[in-house]
Amino acid sequence: MSHIHLPDGILPVWLWGSGYVLAVLIAWLFSRLIKKEDLTRRLPLLGMMAAAMVLGASVEIVPIAYHVNLTVASGILLGPSLIFLATFVVNLILALFGHGGITVIGLNTLILSLEGILGHFFFRAFWRISNRIIPVAFLSTFLALSLSTFSMIGVVRLGVDHYEELLHTHEKKGLFELKLLKEKTGHEEHEEEASEKVNFRRFMAIVLSLGFLGWLLEGVITSLILRYIYRLRPELLWMIDKG
Amino acid sequence: MIQISYLDYLAIEGGSFLHRLSPGVKILGIGFVLLWVTLLRSLTGLILLYGILLLLFFISRTSLKVLPLTFYPLLFATLFIFISHFQLHFILLVFLKVLSAATGVVLLLATTPYPFIFQTLNRFLPSVFVTALFLTYRSMFILLKVLEETQHALYLRGGFQWKHPWRSLINLSNAFGHLIMTGINNSEKMYESMRLRGFKNRIHYRSD
Repeated sequence: MSHIHLPDGILPVWLWGSGYVLAVLIAWLFSRLIKKEDLTRRLPLLGMMAAAMVLGASVEIVPIAYHVNLTVASGILLGPSLIFLATFVVNLILALFGHGGITVIGLNTLILSLEGILGHFFFRAFWRISNRIIPVAFLSTFLALSLSTFSMIGVVRLGVDHYEELLHTHEKKGLFELKLLKEKTGHEEHEEEASEKVNFRRFMAIVLSLGFLGWLLEGVITSLILRYIYRLRPELLWMIDKG
Repeated sequence: MIQISYLDYLAIEGGSFLHRLSPGVKILGIGFVLLWVTLLRSLTGLILLYGILLLLFFISRTSLKVLPLTFYPLLFATLFIFISHFQLHFILLVFLKVLSAATGVVLLLATTPYPFIFQTLNRFLPSVFVTALFLTYRSMFILLKVLEETQHALYLRGGFQWKHPWRSLINLSNAFGHLIMTGINNSEKMYESMRLRGFKNRIHYRSD
């Protein structure tokens, strides 16, 4: 729920275009920050984690149509630079299967990688306070997901003018005719204007209420997954810090 | 997700004119479809585009089994129509845009093997990105195999039952934990074998 599941052709060109430009710029910046040997060593792991994220996205929990992202778990294991590349790859593959449009890959990469990067830093920060893996992992995931959902809502909000244009596309042809037929009173015009406006609050209410369930579920699942990894190979959670 | 392997099979085994067409031309075609979908706001134009894509779908003798894949994005588009006041024109506009884009992409995947798509992308995308894409694609098949085995184990441990949500969440998380651990172990082996073969952040394709 924290990334844009919107298909192609809905968001305005300037919005998804800027998403691509920003994503490419950040990818370039991260690629300068990471050592070449480190990248070579971790590329197969990146592939595996990205594949796990794709598979996670395909396992839907039926009644609320929620799927796990595994972005926070991947962010903790891969680190901020590689999670960005991993989400880029995941979004491209998911888009090829109709899970979000091709044009929104850039924006989705920014939102999903924000989730992974925040999860990574929250996990490390909370670990300094408490060494209990389940609450630390749960809180990190919950916070990272809620923040990335709000960023997704913010991105969708930026295109409201465009959705209004789409809503009124078919009315433009008949506008003149309609005015000749009937002259409206000020009250009627005001009412009509309000009903024609994009109902963004409704969208927000649906996304946040479904999202909240998702944050809880993902938080529980991620913390149990990390507990599983922590029991078997705890060093994997701190591999990034050791280099 | 199991349909990944089926799409791959269709792309390799098919023999229609679309299968024989160069991947570069098909990717360009997808670019054109997306451009049309993004810019067009008339229902007639979108119906025409969707009609052309459906015609290509049937001409290329693509299996009807993958047609439902093109309807999957409608699920997400439904959420978006809540923004509008359920106006029929807006809903049709959004649904046709979604169906056209999804049909175009499924058509590309069902007629072009993945390595050819990656090879084409390799010409204008950074090699690290294409390598990551290729490794992810390869890892998906490895993890799918693990997932199939894990599903049996999950079933034997009670699977996912709404009567026992906590137990089910633990089962699901252990399954994903196992999937990730196996993935990490495999990635370490993969790295060692790739290093032995001289891997340096780039995978070379047959025509390179």
